[in-house]
Amino acid sequence: MDSRTTNLLLMGLNHRSAPVEVRERLAFDEDALEPALRRLVDHMVVREGAIVSTCNRVEILACTPDPQAAGEKITTLLAEARHVARPLFEPHLYTRVGKEAVSHLFRVTSSLDSMVVGEPQILGQVKDAYAVSSTLGALGVILHRCFHKSFSVAKRVRSETRIAAKAVSISSAAVDLARSIFDHLDDKTAMVIGAGEMGEQTVKHLQSNGIGTVLVTNRTFARAVELARQCNGTVVPFDQLHRHLHLADVVVGSVGMNGYLLVPAVVDEVLRERKRRPMFFIDLGVPRNFDPRLNDIENVFLYDIDDLEKVIEDNKDEREREAIKAESIIAEEVESFWAWLSSMEVTPTIIALRDRAETIRQKEVEKALASMKDLPPQARQAVEAMSAALMNKLLHPPIAYLKASGRHGAGPEAEGVSTVRRIFGLDEDA
Amino acid sequence: MEIVFLQLAIVFYLLSTGAFFWPLMSPRPLARSLAPGLLCGAFVAHAGAIAVRSLSAGHIAVVESYEAVSFFGCLLAGVCLLVQLRAPVAILGAVVSPLCVVMATGAFVFSTQSRDLPPSLHSVWLPIHVTLAFLGNAVFGVAFSASLVYLLQERQLKSKKGRLSFRRLPSLETLDALNYRVLAWGFALLTLGILTGAVWAEYVWGTFWVWEPRPTLSLVTWVMYALLLHYRTAGWRGRRAAALTIACFIVLVGSFLGVKLIFPGRHGGAFG
Repeated sequence: MDSRTTNLLLMGLNHRSAPVEVRERLAFDEDALEPALRRLVDHMVVREGAIVSTCNRVEILACTPDPQAAGEKITTLLAEARHVARPLFEPHLYTRVGKEAVSHLFRVTSSLDSMVVGEPQILGQVKDAYAVSSTLGALGVILHRCFHKSFSVAKRVRSETRIAAKAVSISSAAVDLARSIFDHLDDKTAMVIGAGEMGEQTVKHLQSNGIGTVLVTNRTFARAVELARQCNGTVVPFDQLHRHLHLADVVVGSVGMNGYLLVPAVVDEVLRERKRRPMFFIDLGVPRNFDPRLNDIENVFLYDIDDLEKVIEDNKDEREREAIKAESIIAEEVESFWAWLSSMEVTPTIIALRDRAETIRQKEVEKALASMKDLPPQARQAVEAMSAALMNKLLHPPIAYLKASGRHGAGPEAEGVSTVRRIFGLDEDA
Repeated sequence: MEIVFLQLAIVFYLLSTGAFFWPLMSPRPLARSLAPGLLCGAFVAHAGAIAVRSLSAGHIAVVESYEAVSFFGCLLAGVCLLVQLRAPVAILGAVVSPLCVVMATGAFVFSTQSRDLPPSLHSVWLPIHVTLAFLGNAVFGVAFSASLVYLLQERQLKSKKGRLSFRRLPSLETLDALNYRVLAWGFALLTLGILTGAVWAEYVWGTFWVWEPRPTLSLVTWVMYALLLHYRTAGWRGRRAAALTIACFIVLVGSFLGVKLIFPGRHGGAFG
């Protein structure tokens, strides 16, 4: 594997490896994505690249002949593009090479790596990231294929296992519990603190079950406004959270933060204000948003994400079977992708085709740049990138053709190879 | 005849106990009306037994201790059925039915010839006073059942070990609201029971109140429930209210049995 000229490298950090303070500083917003991708893909160390950035993770995938150099490049890029000192995030960074990189991408896309396993949003987020990288020409044959494969894997995992049912059942477990406490939901108020994915899903589930009023509060005001608009709710400024808490019968916490947002003393006071009408706290935060001792207060019921999982864990064996099934689907698909990549790698025709293209490209770029000596480095890079993208795109069909013919046995393969070699003049001297 | 009705009632109480407990044990549901239907059958048979005995005795059959227990059980079943018509709390049957099994069986085992009443107690006030007082107690019995189920459900929710079956219990809010409403009804009935007793005492003994164990303990019970209602109105709810409702009912039953067995006064059994 080490002798290969094409390898895959994935570097990143997620909700498990890094605290939110680090994640939020490294996260790329849409505007930052484009320059970063242009910098990442230099067509030498990194031939193809993509960046997936959500509130729970930043993942950078690169197709590279030299994973070590690419890793260095990515780390530098992260530090410089996001203005974060390396020691601050390096310990949280994980690096996956080769098959493991593929496997990681597949697991992320299939939502096996999510904070709430099975939540559906991540697939869309990866698709968006793919679209951005693709439009910018940062992807080549290999990453195109890799991403498409990851989408079909996610689909398979979704349809062949019950993993996806889990995320839904966490919010429906929360609704079931609310119904065990409250008679009618239509005269009740739910407050959602933090506009995270699970919080949003739970509040929408409560709403489709007829909850009367929704209050939304979030540290980022705009995000609260957005969620409030989606579920017809009212926005409460984050710093006035405590003042409005007594209105809420159901409190959903999904804030990414360390330390407890609500402690028993505060809730006790709120309860007195409510004449001890029951309150149901749903803590979806990891780390937890609410002090677990809230549950000891009379007429207060607190469920964190583990409790909810336990509630729905009707059959542990089944859940384990589902997880094993999902992992084995992924392992199978990783193997199949890797076989494709390897076959691509060892096919001499493809190498020859690539080499020929690369030689032409470099020669032409040099020629072009030589005539424009005072071009700024940015423009030079753009020319480089454009030429590489051209080549990649042009080569995609013949290479795909070769791959396809390679899968159809000896006869047509030989035929296909010789056709391509003839068309591109690979057996002549360049 | 009376014995046949009572036996029939016991059999139906047993069957309805099973039917009310079934959904807690098995995931396969029974027909929704089965358990209340059985309890209804038991109530009719039980009422029939009491009616037959009352007719043959010539007065309402609540004079002997076991008669009173049997009468109470019958009313409890009736009130429980009434409440189920108004609120989705079939599960109360799982508390009430076994209690009724015990009470009806007690009546069956200790049944004796009915005793003649002293002429002084022959009065229309007897059925009125007794029925109101016992109806009040039966309603408190339903409040007690609702509180018991409340505590069970509350513990399930707090401990987070709620198995599937317990998630089918009524919501805490339903049980708490029922408890409150039912307490108010019970209190009104108990008050009427005491008032009619006082009026009757004025007729028979020439005084509204005699400081005898039975009426005194009724007054204690009345004060207790008055306090409970007061605190509920002031905003007590949930676990504390449920626990107090249970405590009040235990005192009520204890004082009832204690008076009957230990200090029989002029009121009730010994007719001094």
